[in-house]
Amino acid sequence: MIRILIVDDHPAMRAGLSAVLRAEPGLVPLNAAASVSDLWPMLNRTKPDVVVLDYHLPGDDGLILCRRIKRQLAAPAVLLYSAYADASLMIPARLAGVDGLVSKAAPANELYDAIRRVARGERVLPPISRELLDAASAELAPDELPILGMTLEDTSVSDMAAALGIDTTEVAHRIDRMLKRLKVDIPAPRAAG
Amino acid sequence: MTSRWMALLLMTRLLAAGVGVLLTAVHRVTDHDPLLILGAVAFTVASLGAFAYVPRLQLSPSAWFVDCFAALALVAASEDWRSPFYVLMLTALILPSTGLSFRGALAWGMAFALAYFAIAVYTSLDAETLESAVRLETIATHLMVPLVVVLALAYATDVLERLRGERLRSERLAVESERQRIAWELHDSAKQRVHAAHLVLSALQNQVEGPQEQLVAHALSEMRAAGADMDTSVAELRMPLEGRSVERLLDERAAQLVPASEAQITVRGSVGELPAHVAAHVYRIGAEALTNAVRHSGARHVDVALARNGSTATVEVCDDGKGLPAIRRPGSNGLRSMRARADTIGADLSFGPGRDGRGTRVSLTFSTQPDERTSQP
Repeated sequence: MIRILIVDDHPAMRAGLSAVLRAEPGLVPLNAAASVSDLWPMLNRTKPDVVVLDYHLPGDDGLILCRRIKRQLAAPAVLLYSAYADASLMIPARLAGVDGLVSKAAPANELYDAIRRVARGERVLPPISRELLDAASAELAPDELPILGMTLEDTSVSDMAAALGIDTTEVAHRIDRMLKRLKVDIPAPRAAG
Repeated sequence: MTSRWMALLLMTRLLAAGVGVLLTAVHRVTDHDPLLILGAVAFTVASLGAFAYVPRLQLSPSAWFVDCFAALALVAASEDWRSPFYVLMLTALILPSTGLSFRGALAWGMAFALAYFAIAVYTSLDAETLESAVRLETIATHLMVPLVVVLALAYATDVLERLRGERLRSERLAVESERQRIAWELHDSAKQRVHAAHLVLSALQNQVEGPQEQLVAHALSEMRAAGADMDTSVAELRMPLEGRSVERLLDERAAQLVPASEAQITVRGSVGELPAHVAAHVYRIGAEALTNAVRHSGARHVDVALARNGSTATVEVCDDGKGLPAIRRPGSNGLRSMRARADTIGADLSFGPGRDGRGTRVSLTFSTQPDERTSQP
């Protein structure tokens, strides 16, 4: 039985996801959070196995939120669920510690499969192409490139810190900075109303 | 804008000419009064006729100069700076003050006042005038009036111009923010619902068999198509063409596609100026064909050729990829939306194999001036 927490700002999506997951044997949707402030109490109370996280939350970046979730003790697997699951999201997703990436346009089967795999500890991310890596490297500062390389080779943060001769908080800080640089912009309305 | 000032010129000049002629007829002004009256009438009729029938003269500095010169000459011919045609002369300032920039208008008024002063000195400004305080004040007033007229008119024009600019700007901003709002709603609400419905329906796919499974597959493909339609509408709302040429837009689209593909893209030729809605449809059709060629055909080269021949224009997108699939990909609403767009502008859209039988050629032929029936967006 895989216990799942949903984070999505749109009610139709929360209801749809809950219904679809409930219908599948072996998957148990616990609760659905509409915002970051709802998320933390639910996360602490329910201790889910997998968090299905919307990439674009109002006022919050799904990737930064993912890093905060992954920093917890006994962190759940995080499946990023996005309408923008294109190539430009791959490297930032790896940096943020995302376990899987599924497009909102994908059929339910793909979603079930991805949830089962990330719950087993697998990673559901497409391979990163040379072009993507070159494009990301061009955006980053020279002292950030080793971190990118080690992240892609699944080096742990403490090993990175040891290899670079800095402490782990500094590594975490640099990863946050890299995520900001590689931020995938989603067009938003310029002014409300 | 100029028609308003032309009306002012017409009214004031006719009135001033009438008053001037009447004054000349009642009071004996010079030895050649009949000639003077004839001159004033001829000037009024000729100048108003010229400005009214050749509107481009209303904005021509040479025409203003001739007009001012003739008006000043009329005052000089009346042999006194207190001429009955003084007001008639002032009307020559209306077009330059409203047609020039604020500074330009002031300079013109200054030069005009100086020319008037020269005429005054030349005709009848004598020692007697300079000794009389009343007369001195009168000439000073006469010199100031052209400046006041120019200042008032130039200021009014300037304010009107700014008001118009401000109104255009706020209208544009309102349209822009409305567009952004609609795009956001489409994307953030409607599209999320489509995603949710697609997800829920796709969960059924494994649980039904036979004809029902086909029904579900059909509904799923329609939902994907709806999602793609929304993407196109959102793109159009976020990036209106704003008068840029089709070839430039396609070039920009090609530049966006290059980093994510192996294909080499060339865009050449031009379709020239097009009505805005025709340009919008032609661009979206071309961009869709280009995107398909780059993303799905596996082509090494994609060639976009634009051409115009009189009132007919063509856009051709050729690639050397694997050609059109015999059966349409599920959820490929691209071709259908291209057809719908082509129908909207009454264009011919054809798909076929490339020049030497390889790849795909998408060809769009359209009229640059579609008739009213089809041109309604």
